[in-house]
Amino acid sequence: MTKTDSPTSSAKAELARLVAPVAGRLRLAGLLAAVSELLWAAQAALVALAVGGLLEAPVLLPIWEASAGFLALMALRTGLDAAAQGLASRAATRLVATERQALLRAAARLDARASGLTPAELAALAGEKLALLGPFAARYSPAMMRSRIVPLALIAITLPFSWIAVLIFLIALPLIPIFMALIGIAAQEASERQMVQIGSLNGALVDRIAAVTDLRLIGAETRAGAELANVFERLRARTMKVLAVAFLSSTVLELFSALGVALVAIYVGFNLLGEIPWGSWGGPLSPEAGIFLLMIAPTVFQPMRDLSAAWHDRASALAVATELSAAKETLAREGTLLGYGTPATPPAPAVLSWQGLSLRPAPSAAAIRFAEGQIAPGEAVALSGPSGAGKTTLLAALAGLIRPDAGVIRWGETALDDESADALRAAMGWLPQAPQFIAAPLAEAITLGRDGDLAAALKAAQAEDVIAALPEGLATPLGDIGGGVSGGEARRLMLARAHHARASLILADEPTADLDAETAQAVIAGLMALRAKGAALLIASHDPTVIAACDRVITLEPGGHP
Amino acid sequence: MKALLAVARLISETERMAFVRGLVLSIVVMVMGAALLGLSGWFVTAAAAAGIGGIGIAFDFFRPSAGVRFLALGRAAGRYGERMLSHDATLRALARLRGAVHAGITRLPHEVQARLRGAEALNRLTADIDALDGLMLRLVLPFFAACATQAAAFVALWFLVTPATAVAVLAIYALGGIAILTLTALTAHAPAAAAETSLQAIRAASLDLMRNRADLAVAGALERQTDGALAAVRAEEAARQRLDMIDQWSGAALALASGLAATAALLIGGRAAEAGQISPAEAAIGFFVALALAETLTTLRRGLAEWGRMQGAATRVLALVDTPARRTPKAAPAPRAGAALLETRALVHCRAGAARASFGPLSFTLAPGETLLITGPSGAGKSTLLSTLAGLIAPSSGEILLSGAPLEDWPEDRLRAKLTLVPQRSALLSGTIAENLALALPPERAEDEERMWQALEAVHLAGVLHAREGLQTLLGPQGVGLSGGQAKRLALARAALRRPPILMLDEPTEGLDAATAHGTLTGLRKLLPEAGIIFVSHRHADAALADRCLTISV
Repeated sequence: MTKTDSPTSSAKAELARLVAPVAGRLRLAGLLAAVSELLWAAQAALVALAVGGLLEAPVLLPIWEASAGFLALMALRTGLDAAAQGLASRAATRLVATERQALLRAAARLDARASGLTPAELAALAGEKLALLGPFAARYSPAMMRSRIVPLALIAITLPFSWIAVLIFLIALPLIPIFMALIGIAAQEASERQMVQIGSLNGALVDRIAAVTDLRLIGAETRAGAELANVFERLRARTMKVLAVAFLSSTVLELFSALGVALVAIYVGFNLLGEIPWGSWGGPLSPEAGIFLLMIAPTVFQPMRDLSAAWHDRASALAVATELSAAKETLAREGTLLGYGTPATPPAPAVLSWQGLSLRPAPSAAAIRFAEGQIAPGEAVALSGPSGAGKTTLLAALAGLIRPDAGVIRWGETALDDESADALRAAMGWLPQAPQFIAAPLAEAITLGRDGDLAAALKAAQAEDVIAALPEGLATPLGDIGGGVSGGEARRLMLARAHHARASLILADEPTADLDAETAQAVIAGLMALRAKGAALLIASHDPTVIAACDRVITLEPGGHP
Repeated sequence: MKALLAVARLISETERMAFVRGLVLSIVVMVMGAALLGLSGWFVTAAAAAGIGGIGIAFDFFRPSAGVRFLALGRAAGRYGERMLSHDATLRALARLRGAVHAGITRLPHEVQARLRGAEALNRLTADIDALDGLMLRLVLPFFAACATQAAAFVALWFLVTPATAVAVLAIYALGGIAILTLTALTAHAPAAAAETSLQAIRAASLDLMRNRADLAVAGALERQTDGALAAVRAEEAARQRLDMIDQWSGAALALASGLAATAALLIGGRAAEAGQISPAEAAIGFFVALALAETLTTLRRGLAEWGRMQGAATRVLALVDTPARRTPKAAPAPRAGAALLETRALVHCRAGAARASFGPLSFTLAPGETLLITGPSGAGKSTLLSTLAGLIAPSSGEILLSGAPLEDWPEDRLRAKLTLVPQRSALLSGTIAENLALALPPERAEDEERMWQALEAVHLAGVLHAREGLQTLLGPQGVGLSGGQAKRLALARAALRRPPILMLDEPTEGLDAATAHGTLTGLRKLLPEAGIIFVSHRHADAALADRCLTISV
């Protein structure tokens, strides 16, 4: 997905679609910048008239008037440029922020079983990758506009003075994109061949840092360092090969524009000397016309040079556009969880029941049909069955975290749907199989912003000594993989979260998996303590001790309910 | 600022000649650019004057026109050389910098290293190093090149046009340039740092939101957490807009400054030409050179906008590079006859600030050839005990004696030869199996394939690898390409290759089926009959393989 293949038409179309909301502002910015660039011709005319006046009477424009005019036009152009740049950059940041917000909103409500976009991929996309759209919009788009207007307009201005100068421009200008395309293709191929290795300049370092303890333990610290230097050296040599080709393309551009300017200068000089009397209309050029042509010649090439400087921005933006559209497609395909995840008032305890449920465990998996079932308030029910029978899937569906293909789930008389989901979930506690914590101080990771008695919850879950062993107690930041607590400790903290939520139904997924007997016993005791306070329990497990501790068992049949 | 200078020194001192070559070429390129415009202006004006005066035949047009062509071609070629040289130097220097960061991280205490290994910390670190790649290219080299070019232009204008032109142009560029660039750097500092911080916040919030969305939805906190992520996006947008605004103003100010310099040159040169002190062609030189000098400041401006980002990065990177050397004794302790292979006395570890000890007090001994199983509930400090025994973390109290000598008296290399620990989650490197294993062998035996296969046989991995590409089987970053159980056994084989007198294994059989688990443990024992082995396990079946069992409790 991240492969930067040659820009396909679909990537171009996707990028155009992304930029469409700000395209008007970008066009205006390009137009302003083009006008500013064309005003240089007026400045050039003033200078040409003034210098011409120095050479030969009559003085058409006194030097101080020309200077004042030149400076005034400069100020006007500066204003136009600043306005263009402001427009383009504001449009660019808006574009990036809008796409980021849309992406995060969609990802936040993604169906719980979705697997097409990993959290790390989302973070990279929402972070540094979408940022690459900014330079494309702010720099490439206006440069594109200018390169369509400015060279042609300046050539039109040149034509009344000299057809030779026009000829020079017309030959040099189209050659630039042709040669650049040729060299650009070579560079693209070279960089694609090396992409894997170049990307791993950081990858090699990250790999070594992630393994730093292992390398120390096998006494290979020094050797790993020396070996890293060799890896870097190989990467440098390869990168330079790619850069050599890439720089060649910009050198070709500079060469042609420099030659174009030099040829115009030499032609004008020789014409003024009378060495080349042809090429201008009706006699040699006037000194003013010569100086004017010399001054506008570099500007004919400038938009092309800016465009080529921004070429790389376009390539990255195309890659990002492709990836973003794939991510959006994934998000749309995998659907959303029910409700919006807002705080709500929980309904009174009631029977949770389900009928005719049909659920897919993964977006592409076949649907499993479930026999109807129910849990009464205060009841402890074990959910067992072989792996693959849909235990986790059923729990997630009951919490409104995945959307059933068919069937209905009810809390008393209320059906679980987008409107009721937030309120019904407010009555539920959730213990996932793999405990995770948000990257926040522990206290916040447990309360998740809800009010309640945290100390009592920790006590009830026997999690006080977990807190006591942490360096900063409740202020300890957890995150990533709950760094600093073991699996059993994390489970007890999850129990504390369930106690704190004062839920009337607890949904727990394999709460004793991978735990030693003693810790497992403590977790079961914690669950029973929740029940003692009146909560109903639904525990997916094949641990006999858990099943023994429950009032009854719902056994899921392998392959689903017939 | 100090940190940036220190990093610039660090980067440049290793590749000084390469940077000097790059600098010389970038000065040449800028000077040629100014000379090209100046010469063209002079040539056209002088040709016009000669044409008007009817002395066109006598005008030497060959040398100036050849000069124009030479400067045009030379400038493009010089630009190519300058880019190649300075990028090559930068790449070399950044490789050194990455090497220095790696070396610094290896010297850090174990606990700090553990924090740096998280995905986000690593992401932050590479973002910091990447931020510094513009330091030489967009800040240091353009600064010196701008100064040199302005100085050269001053001398040229003084003699070719008028001293007043030279003074006016230099004064406008120097004063304007310094004022504008300083102001840019100062005002852009805070928003540049803020933009970088918000970008990291967006990343962290995205990870948090997506990983925990089920928990957050049940807690009714999903919308609140989403709003937090969106706020980070808005903060980044605001910081970026402020940066763009500064960029816009500084660009406008620099354009005006160059316009002012060109106007001054036109006015002063024009008046001098009117007064007959210089020719109109000489006046044209002043104007065109003044215009061309704008190039000296534009590159620098872009670099200065990144200053804030670079500075924060430099401070953090420098802190890692400057990690003090790890203290380790020079000489190995004298062997003591009759001492136990490993002995602990009343060993206790307590995390800083924690109210309760991680484990201890523990006292036990280990003899050669003995297998000791450590069990205990989750959270009892079993992994912490192994890390303490391996010398990764210091005990709070008590003693560890290795062959009768305190652990802290052993130099790092001798200690590693004496004992090896395979942690619960061990990391592999991208590369071939052979490359991964070679790191554990002494350099002179790094290609001893027979020994590698022996170790792989012992952990029952030989069959799997024979079916693939043997020792040349390629692993991705962090060992991708093997299953969890296979990666674990490869780490065990890597440790066993060292044939340490003491081998410590943290949950070596986790994630393995019963037969493989049993085979791996007995295979290791057979490969290392003399080694004292300590291992941690939850599995009851593993207890049969141990000579003794030490149970620790919370």
